[in-house]
Amino acid sequence: MNLSPDPWVWLAAFLTLCIFSFLYRDNIFYQFAEHLFVGISAGYLIAITYHNQIYPNLVVPLFFEGQIIYVIPLAFGLLYFTRFIPRIGFLVRLPIAFLLGWGSGVAIPAYFQRDILRQTQGTLLTADKFATWDSGLWAIVILIGVVCTLIYFFFSKERKGILKPAANLGIIFLMLGFGASFGYTVMSRISLLIGRVQFLLGPWLGVIRY
Amino acid sequence: MNIFELLTKIPRRIIFLTIFVAIAVPLIIPIGMPVNVMPKSEQVYRAVDSLGPQSRPILISCDFDPQSMPELYPMLVALLRHCFARDIKVILMALWPQGPGMAELALSEVPPEFNKEYGRDYAFLGYKFGVTAVLLGMGESMRGVFPLDYYGTPLDSIEILDDVRSYDGLSLVITLSTGDPGWRQWLLFAQSRYAVRLGVGVTAVIAADVYPYVETGQVIGLLAGMKGASEYEIMVQQGGYSEGIRRAAHGMDAQSLGHLLIMVFIVLGNIGYFVIRRKK
Repeated sequence: MNLSPDPWVWLAAFLTLCIFSFLYRDNIFYQFAEHLFVGISAGYLIAITYHNQIYPNLVVPLFFEGQIIYVIPLAFGLLYFTRFIPRIGFLVRLPIAFLLGWGSGVAIPAYFQRDILRQTQGTLLTADKFATWDSGLWAIVILIGVVCTLIYFFFSKERKGILKPAANLGIIFLMLGFGASFGYTVMSRISLLIGRVQFLLGPWLGVIRY
Repeated sequence: MNIFELLTKIPRRIIFLTIFVAIAVPLIIPIGMPVNVMPKSEQVYRAVDSLGPQSRPILISCDFDPQSMPELYPMLVALLRHCFARDIKVILMALWPQGPGMAELALSEVPPEFNKEYGRDYAFLGYKFGVTAVLLGMGESMRGVFPLDYYGTPLDSIEILDDVRSYDGLSLVITLSTGDPGWRQWLLFAQSRYAVRLGVGVTAVIAADVYPYVETGQVIGLLAGMKGASEYEIMVQQGGYSEGIRRAAHGMDAQSLGHLLIMVFIVLGNIGYFVIRRKK
């Protein structure tokens, strides 16, 4: 064992143990670490947003380079604060409306391209999918899976005849998808624990090389 | 309470303690279980490996925070080692406010191993808020979005950014992402709109969401969680690029035993449940 001489490592280890203490039950150490985290996060966000965004993208061009046009986004941004003045609070709708309109305009075509056109294209059986026997097999499985899952979510027609087994197959595909997601979630959570245990055993206690 | 009732009601503190032991022991006494490299991880490696000193720079976006460090930080370190060993120029940025801390930590560790110099071999643009405007803006003018780098230097004064005006000046973008904003937005705005070559490294919890996009070729490859990070570390080591610490690979024994234990608990709980139900 080779304990760390670094006080910051000791502080990090203490806060880690404070959070882990919640596994036994809620306690004052856990609450202390939780509140500290929330407070520091808020302060950090404000500081880094100013230094990385407001200063280089607004303060420098407007006040140091004299680009007057930047007054427009500054004024538009300041309208958000009119929310605190009830008499002119309605002005907050202007920047919100601008963001909604602009955001929808740029996002909708991109969503179509990303999630509908390219995904539909990827589901179609084309000659290149059958370059090898296994890629061809998986392409067929994907096509069957997509069609059956869509049939499961088709509620405008009674499930009988061919629709019933297809919808049931769709449920199996859905369950496989949920199972894969759950498996990955477990994997992720275990990884987080490994990271903390590596820290406690490595930099803090010096039991393992890290 | 008989044995089967006990199986369905194992105290949660016993489960926590058992999992902690199952994870801590293999970290102290490694078993050396093999790690198989998956094709989707290899695709990311091959994409980076196909580049060299004459290639345009790679952009790595650190879209994660310390909570995702065990999964994504080893990916970042392994990617940087791979790039620097091949003399590929690297640009870093972040869409998460905590991302700069992660990037700076990696930059304090990896460039000295390869004698790389800031400005000539790598640059760090820092963090920007407002993902849509940032990613669309970078497609038009990198300098419009990032007039200064993270340390306050104008981009025009940074050597490796001389020819990087937009995504056209990049050979590849890799996002290490733990949620939103992250890989979804890179795919939505940078890939769909500007046809950027995009590689993705994500936490395991969202890996399943990325698979459809890898299948269609919208994403060139996927590093999924600590397993993906360990695969990349192993490929970098087998490629003879680095012998540095492989954090994720060291954790894979613990990962495997942790999974095994959870499977055992699930099976035991189900045995207890079905036996009790049959008796009723």
